[in-house]
Amino acid sequence: MSIEIPRGACYHCGLPNLESDHFPVVVNDVLQHMCCPGCQAVSQAIVDNGLASYYEFRTETAARGDTVLDTTLSQLAVYDEPELQQEFVFDEGKHKQIQLTVEGISCAACAWLIEKQLAKLEGIKQVSVNVSARRAMVSWDDSVLKLSGVLSKLKSIGYTSLPFQADTHEASFKKEQKSFIKKLGLAGIMTMQVMMLAMAQYFDVLGNIDADAIAYFNAVSLLLTTPVVLYSGSIFYVSALKAIQAKTVNMDVPVTIAIIATYIAGVMSVNSNVGEVYFESICMFIFFLLIGRYLEHRSRHKATLISSNMLKLIPVTANKKQNDEYTAVLAKQLQINDIVLVKAGETVPIDGVIVEGKSTFDESMLSGEFNPVTKSIGQQVYAGSLNQQGAISIQVSATLKHAMMNQILRLQESAMANKPKMAAIADKLSRYFVVVVLLVSAATYSFWSLQGDPHAFWITISVLVATCPCALGLATPSALTCAMARLNQMGILLKRADALEQLTHTTDIVFDKTGTLTEGKFSIQKQWINNTQVDTAENELAETDAFSQTEETLSSNKHKLHQQFVLSLAFALEQRSEHPIAIAFSQSYQKALESDSADSLPKLENVKIDIGKGISACYSDKEVLIGSAKYVLEHKAIKANNEIRKAVDGANVLLALDQELIAAFWVTDTVQSDARQIIQALSSYKLMILSGDTQQNADEVAAQVNIKHVVGDSPPDAKLDYIKNLQANNKSILMLGDGINDAPVLAAADVSVAVGNASDLAKNAADVVLLNPKLQSLVDLLTMAQRSKRKIKQNIAWALSYNILVLPFAMSGLLTPWQAALGMSLSSIIVVYNSTRLLK
Amino acid sequence: MSVIYVLIPLAVIIIAIALGVFFWAVKSNQFDDLERQGHSILFDDDIEPSDAKKTASDPSERK
Repeated sequence: MSIEIPRGACYHCGLPNLESDHFPVVVNDVLQHMCCPGCQAVSQAIVDNGLASYYEFRTETAARGDTVLDTTLSQLAVYDEPELQQEFVFDEGKHKQIQLTVEGISCAACAWLIEKQLAKLEGIKQVSVNVSARRAMVSWDDSVLKLSGVLSKLKSIGYTSLPFQADTHEASFKKEQKSFIKKLGLAGIMTMQVMMLAMAQYFDVLGNIDADAIAYFNAVSLLLTTPVVLYSGSIFYVSALKAIQAKTVNMDVPVTIAIIATYIAGVMSVNSNVGEVYFESICMFIFFLLIGRYLEHRSRHKATLISSNMLKLIPVTANKKQNDEYTAVLAKQLQINDIVLVKAGETVPIDGVIVEGKSTFDESMLSGEFNPVTKSIGQQVYAGSLNQQGAISIQVSATLKHAMMNQILRLQESAMANKPKMAAIADKLSRYFVVVVLLVSAATYSFWSLQGDPHAFWITISVLVATCPCALGLATPSALTCAMARLNQMGILLKRADALEQLTHTTDIVFDKTGTLTEGKFSIQKQWINNTQVDTAENELAETDAFSQTEETLSSNKHKLHQQFVLSLAFALEQRSEHPIAIAFSQSYQKALESDSADSLPKLENVKIDIGKGISACYSDKEVLIGSAKYVLEHKAIKANNEIRKAVDGANVLLALDQELIAAFWVTDTVQSDARQIIQALSSYKLMILSGDTQQNADEVAAQVNIKHVVGDSPPDAKLDYIKNLQANNKSILMLGDGINDAPVLAAADVSVAVGNASDLAKNAADVVLLNPKLQSLVDLLTMAQRSKRKIKQNIAWALSYNILVLPFAMSGLLTPWQAALGMSLSSIIVVYNSTRLLK
Repeated sequence: MSVIYVLIPLAVIIIAIALGVFFWAVKSNQFDDLERQGHSILFDDDIEPSDAKKTASDPSERK
């Protein structure tokens, strides 16, 4: 039942354990090792609460524990605000009720764990967890327990939960789902009963049944069949009526004719006690048709569930200045001209103009450009960008409703509405098919009645039933459902089942750059070192403090030492900066430390930081400078001849010591490790990069992964126009993106994929969400799309050929209605079985 | 054979009751999550917390 955790992996989350036995927990009397303090804390909490049998029966590993537990817990307090709660909390007299989306629910064991754990809290009235929807419904007593208490308890056992706004379609889907189950259950139970009575007559099991008994059986069958026809079958009549009203035909038209005609004929023959009845055929027919419809409904229902889980409600709070004091308020309550304080490291809550302070902002979520922008008094900042350095005060310039981010959201909504629609193949096919079936039935009836055959009516019913295109109707939904389930296991969520069908028509794949092809993190790609300069510097150093090597070792290891020295110096300077580029230096310094090739850090004095430009300091009485090319080269005392200037062209970080350039660094975003390989595997498509970053940066990444078409400098609306232009030329676009700025294009593309750590807005706009940051999922997705298309074709081919094969038998009267219904059902089962092979 | 005149109506009544129960179950959300319930029986609610915690926090001991 339970899963096997390989040796050397974390017992809790199953990821590789690099810490060996640093984080042990005793689970079910066995000492187990975890990979991090987060997993250890979660696991210990589970064991201490007597819930260790979670580990025995889980069928999936848990999500990795969160190490920064304390900070997230304090943030949850904001959910206790009454203004916030009125949006998603329902009052039920004494108790309050809420629906939460819970991240990290992977199997039934999680549901049990959550219910048990929450039930222990005082004030909890009821908890019910739904595994397939990844949601929990919680009722609690607000006077005893706060909502943040519920959320933090869930967090302590490793589940992140958030309130969310249910999709508007969802309520109606849920109601339909219930009525489907009722109809299906009723039809199933009744079919068994009616079949039992009918079987007795088919095979004479009870010996010679007298006429009275047969009449009695038929009457009981009629009684049992009536609710099936009136209630379970009602969806077919409604759909057929709608089609006829719209002056077209669909699959349900012949179905309705067959059901109602057979039923009425049955009622008449029970009354007059002459003729045949086929109640068991009606029941079986309705039951099997309903199974197909239910499967189709479920796959669509699941897709909506997933998409509405994306609509998480994350409240944005702001520090508003009131009478020289700052109070936390919800961003949506802010008015124009309010003054708001944004501390370093916080996300700007609202659009505004800086009135105090200076800082750099990461606007990559809005513009896609990863390089931070420096802004000072009088300049506009946008909600959603991240304040990286100093604290600033902003004056609100637009309410949240009109903020830049919400404008992008509206762009996305209108793009979504104009998305190209594709009629399902099976629907079109079955429409022609239905017309043929109706014509053939009419012809059959008139032929046999002209012949004077008393069976003309039943032969016609056989034709209608035998050629019922229900296997044809199942062909697509059953294959799509299975493909979706399989993709789900691989960490690929489909929000729209028919996206798979559209994927197979893809001609162009368009990638966003930052965060999609690249990791969205800076690292040193290339460095240049001025040998002569470092040489002298080091020689002097050797005489002073940091270096103690002799002249000989210096010269033998010269080049390597240059590098070490330069890296240590650069790191020592960049350490003082909070600029994201600085992290790149600390990473490469850490790497150097591990391989034992780094020096101890040089001592610096008089460190001065020029925000957004660079850092200057004193090092053994010489001035050192590190910073942007512009900052260093234009510094008053820097000497650099043309040769050096040429060598460092394009480098974005320069290091100067004692008025001489000693090193240059090309610090850029790292390309995903598997990107090149994936791009190669996708060479049959036309590939393209569409980026909000500068053309130059986009070109560089394109060269690394070998993509030929690159468009840079595109704000969200330009991206949208570009895609629309391609679509106007009959291209079918698959778009991959992650940022808020990608949301409108994702919504407009024929099929869109949100990758790995995409923003909620992008996930919301996309048809497919990859839970795995690896691009390999894209190849898996395309392969699965091709496979399911093949399966759909096979299914359709089988369904059609069965129907055509059986038609002559039905028309010639060799087939009775019950045989026709049985054959139709078998044909459907074969189709469903074929589809389930996609699950492997 | 005449016994079927009693037994079949009886069966019909039992079916009607079964359907009533089924409809009630659907109405009270018992069919919302079809993946989970199959596993419910496996979970043991009575596992004792580890010894150290037991004396401190086990509510059953107070009874």
